[in-house]
Amino acid sequence: MAPRLRTSRLPSSVSPCSSSVPQCISVPACTSRAFSQTTSRQVTARRRKFYEWLNGPGRQLKDPLPGSTNYLGAYDRYGNLIRARPGYQRPSRDQAAKAQEEGAEKESEEKEKIPGGQDNVDELDMAARRDADSKDPDKLPPETEEDLRPFPLNRYFRSQPVLSEELREAIYQRVTRDGTTVSLASVEFGVSNERVGAVVRLKQMEKEWIAQGKKLALPYAKAVLDMLPTTPYVDPSLPENRGKRPIPHEPINDLIVHPATRQQLFVPVAESRQFTRVDAGKAFDNNLLPADERIPHPELVLAERELAAGLSFEERRRLAEERLAKEQAKKKAEEERKQAELAKLKTVPKRRWDFVFQDISVEHAGKDGRGPKGVGWRYGFPHEDRKKGQVKIPTKVEA
Amino acid sequence: MRKKPRFHSLKKLKVRQDWSRWSLYSLSQLKPPNTAMRTYFQQKWTAKSDTRAYHGEQIREKKWKRLFKRSIPAVVPMDHRYLARYDGSEQASGRGAGLDTEESQRTPPMTPYMQMTYYPIERRLDTAIFRSLFASSVRQARQFVVHGLVKVNGKKMPYPGYMLNPGDMFQVEPESVMFATGAPKTRSAFARRIAAEKKAALGDTRSNKPADDDEHDPTIAQLAAQIPRDEPTAADLKKHMQELMASVDEVLATEVKAKDKQKFREFRQSVKKAIALWKKANPETVSTLDAQFDFLKKQLAEKMDKDVGKSEDVGMSAEDQEKLKKAFEKLKEKAEYEATWNKKDSSKPYATPWRPRDYMSAFAFIPRYLEVNQNICAAVYLRHPVARPGLAEVPTPFSYETGQLAFNWYLRRR
Repeated sequence: MAPRLRTSRLPSSVSPCSSSVPQCISVPACTSRAFSQTTSRQVTARRRKFYEWLNGPGRQLKDPLPGSTNYLGAYDRYGNLIRARPGYQRPSRDQAAKAQEEGAEKESEEKEKIPGGQDNVDELDMAARRDADSKDPDKLPPETEEDLRPFPLNRYFRSQPVLSEELREAIYQRVTRDGTTVSLASVEFGVSNERVGAVVRLKQMEKEWIAQGKKLALPYAKAVLDMLPTTPYVDPSLPENRGKRPIPHEPINDLIVHPATRQQLFVPVAESRQFTRVDAGKAFDNNLLPADERIPHPELVLAERELAAGLSFEERRRLAEERLAKEQAKKKAEEERKQAELAKLKTVPKRRWDFVFQDISVEHAGKDGRGPKGVGWRYGFPHEDRKKGQVKIPTKVEA
Repeated sequence: MRKKPRFHSLKKLKVRQDWSRWSLYSLSQLKPPNTAMRTYFQQKWTAKSDTRAYHGEQIREKKWKRLFKRSIPAVVPMDHRYLARYDGSEQASGRGAGLDTEESQRTPPMTPYMQMTYYPIERRLDTAIFRSLFASSVRQARQFVVHGLVKVNGKKMPYPGYMLNPGDMFQVEPESVMFATGAPKTRSAFARRIAAEKKAALGDTRSNKPADDDEHDPTIAQLAAQIPRDEPTAADLKKHMQELMASVDEVLATEVKAKDKQKFREFRQSVKKAIALWKKANPETVSTLDAQFDFLKKQLAEKMDKDVGKSEDVGMSAEDQEKLKKAFEKLKEKAEYEATWNKKDSSKPYATPWRPRDYMSAFAFIPRYLEVNQNICAAVYLRHPVARPGLAEVPTPFSYETGQLAFNWYLRRR
């Protein structure tokens, strides 16, 4: 990696005890005894260094940077913001509050310019370059990948953007009001399947809280979302967003590395043979499916294949509808099976608890009486829950 | 007995899982391991001790050793267009016939498996609470769990070592979150004395009067139980609608900034009653405000269809509906406003108006395996953390070499 350019030490830093940030962390008077008021003579060198760092380079990290993230990786050794332009002056807390009140709308416009799906580094750099044209020294350029490192030593971790409030609301509305499937919403917003489900669940709970008149932690939410990088929502219904594509939040087609593929294999294959992904999967493990079927969105691959095969629009639509119908039938069958299982249970409601009876066969215990499916106390098969080292923490909680 | 070493020592700098200035300082002073002058064992030992001071420092070593897994989960992002166009045979086609190309393909970045050594610890409930920014340290998160302030899937979970499963939702009491992440309160001796006096006075009144909380705030279910199940008559409906309309007017007349919450509470009650009157939906399905509004509208429309000739005055006209909708929106706004209105309140355990604590922004990041809703202080554990090309999802402050050495320490069989 190329060494980063350091901006000059002089202008962008706030001098250790400037007037714009009045409070300095004073070195506490170190008393030698708990009851004694006299300060000890020696402040150790380590202590002095610690407070020097806190009041020097560390001072920038004390308060959040308004409208931006504020990580250790964004500063150099002397506490200068690396990505700031030469004449940059950090806004003080009062200034920031005032600016936020005035230009709330302006900010929202600006935010849309910042790309959210920051998995693509090139895109980020491009954005940075585009933004570099504007010459206003007080405005910060968007963060590069390195500015998003909370741990400067760990090059393989960075703070990744979270969903913005508007995007969450849009996902919730799309799934609940329009009734789209989770996978469709996932493709549409560039958000993984599980995250779509989680967003809907959390948003539902939030709305219930509002209906019940519970107090939300809004000041906290606002402060935290201001400190984090966020993926903005590009509202397609607005006229200025016509032709813009939604910003993907994360890669949605992640293939899990199967344990069977961890080893290297050398499989001699005839040169004339078509050795495809399916064959490769078989070579690793007989039950290993090819990647096309193991990714979270196999329907995208099918749709793409049909497009490549040159099918007409009606044809493709018919096929897609067939697939959807098949999937729904499968889901329905599953639901019915579950209902049937529930119907088998006999429930006797009581004042406080319900008694649920389930049919159990004696045969479950097996021939030697030690089968894991058997219930109740069995001779020669002791309970181990009083033994040392038995963990009592539940392993799952039913939703 | 030997003196317990300092948690934050300047003599031996350790990065800890908290948002303190000592952690920040030791983070800034962190250096890659010295591999030139030390034996392999020494390197491994130092790496282990440094990483363990950060990852799961509250867990005993023996317990962590049992948690450790040598197989590390990883994913590879796939392109569905590539999968559709090629079946994989193109990679080998013509290899023997001299079709080998020397042009270097863009190699994907390395998958940093070795930064994932401590991924089983990220599954613990206390660590997940810390990672979703609900507590300022893992020890504080642990205390929240032990004190019963944390729910998993809506049930109280008092075990900080509970291993979250993918899809588990955990929520922390918002007041505790505000306390944990907010700036601490500085109280004068005078204010403390006044608070103590107030508390004593409150204790007197409470001991004199027995508490009866059951009277106020009846739930929907209770309301439903009180009202007989038969279909309401047209006259009933009319009366009820008029009541609802009256409360709508009242709500719209009040300003949002008005201090009395009374009217909003009454409005909510009247809506609940109106819903309870048409007893077709159970309270769970109409739990959100939007659902309540839609439900009222739908029921009204049905009624209108059924007896058009009999009584038109039961239903609502378009402008009335508009009004009702406005009142609902106001209700929502009010709930949000109350929460944002961040006023001075000496009874709170944190500095009011609320502001984030010092140095929080330097530690504020949410890893991708969690989905957090800050408004209700709840989060969902989506999946286990994974390594992907160029990125490891376990937040660890150490360099790749340190992670490697620590992994090797736990790999050895003893």
